Amino acid sequence: MSDLLVKLDDVGVYYRGGKSRKRSPNPPEQPWALRHLSFEIRKGEKLGIVGRNGCGKSTLLRLLAGIISPDEGKITYSSNNLHIQLLALGVGFEGHLSGAENAVLSGLFMGKSRRYMEQHLGAIQEFAELGDAFHLPVNTYSSGMNARLGFSIGLQTDPDVFLIDEVLGVGDHGFLVKSQAALQQKFKSDTTVILISHDATTINSICNRAVWLQNGAILADGVPGDVCRLYETNTS
Amino acid sequence: MNDLLRYKDIILYRILAGLKSEARKNYLGYLWFILEPLLATGVFYFAMTHLTGQRGPTAVLTILVGMTAWQWFEGSVMLSANSIVAKFHVHMQVPLPKYIFPMVDVGTNTVRFGFSFVLIILACWLLVAGPSLALPWLALVLALQFVFIISLSLAVSILVTLFSDLLLLLNSIFRLLFFGSGIFFTVDKVPEHLLPYFYANPIAVFIDSYREIILFQRAPNLILLGEAALTTAKILVISGCIQYYFDKRLLKLTNV
Repeated sequence: MSDLLVKLDDVGVYYRGGKSRKRSPNPPEQPWALRHLSFEIRKGEKLGIVGRNGCGKSTLLRLLAGIISPDEGKITYSSNNLHIQLLALGVGFEGHLSGAENAVLSGLFMGKSRRYMEQHLGAIQEFAELGDAFHLPVNTYSSGMNARLGFSIGLQTDPDVFLIDEVLGVGDHGFLVKSQAALQQKFKSDTTVILISHDATTINSICNRAVWLQNGAILADGVPGDVCRLYETNTS
Repeated sequence: MNDLLRYKDIILYRILAGLKSEARKNYLGYLWFILEPLLATGVFYFAMTHLTGQRGPTAVLTILVGMTAWQWFEGSVMLSANSIVAKFHVHMQVPLPKYIFPMVDVGTNTVRFGFSFVLIILACWLLVAGPSLALPWLALVLALQFVFIISLSLAVSILVTLFSDLLLLLNSIFRLLFFGSGIFFTVDKVPEHLLPYFYANPIAVFIDSYREIILFQRAPNLILLGEAALTTAKILVISGCIQYYFDKRLLKLTNV
């Protein structure tokens, strides 16, 4: 099909850092974070990935975002320019720079051009409700302001595939409602969204396809209702 | 190609942002970029001429040229050793090539070096000898040293992220190189049989070339510069391979 965006073919990832510094020449003895993963992501899909802590969800997001490479198997993207972006709050904020400057910097990190970010500064300022503080150094911000700015920048980067890791809305009540609404909007539009959560209810309510991940492998893939029921009955 | 343009933008923007950020921390702001090297040079000049006696401007500036070029090298490589570790959280969230932050640190330090070096050249013109026809050679030597610094930084940044012990070793290697780069002595003080070893170190060649051009208005030794360029090219190829191999693997191999 032509609307295929990403295809994972028997993909596996293992980590060698952390616990033991010793290198084993045989990869299979290593702790595999993901193993024998095969699935496809299609355009406009709202895919929910559900699983308990440590099941490999975050590794999968990093793999899809191109931050790490697979140790076996193959990932194919529909085009080289496919922009897959993790919704991250405030990537590499520099305390002595203003909110506006950090917005440009963050946007550059997330794959946007300088001009694009400068054109969207107004929208970011407005959405983050920062007012004149937008032009003050971010180290004068409260943590709520920081989160609002980070969220607004992430929202403006507008990638082909949005990867969301548990953060569904930030800030105080007012902004929480607003940010959730903005994300819901993404779920309604034709943006491809991949949401990761350990909470089946969220996934069931907003996704149109769900994958249950456990110990780095897919246990179920299909309609959110069925997958989430399976997940809930087997993990509670 | 688009990505390359964006990475260039990130590097330039980060360098500017870093300098701006640094300037805003202090009351005197941007003035420090001139003031700091001016003070350092002034103190050094005073100490050398008044406390140790005898020496004239040529001798003092000879050492200063060496010191400044050395600091450009050491400061940049040492900064880049920590570049990836310091920005690990960014690398965990966005797919950026691992050479970006080392390049930013080298760039920022190069701007700082630029201010000091210009001051020293002005001092040389005022106190020793005016500008000469040898001056265009300066651009070549500066460019070579810049590439040399980048090549080393690219490898060091990855290797230190993988093996943090290397940072301690690096300090000793730098100390050794410092004494072997002819900063407090000139080439004519090096024993004949040690000269090939002395010149195997590109930094020693660069420092010697700067002195030739600025203080003695002569063209540098092109054979030695050619050899330094060859060494630089070799390191650059090795560093490129290290960067390429570890780019998407690094985060799986280490937890900082």
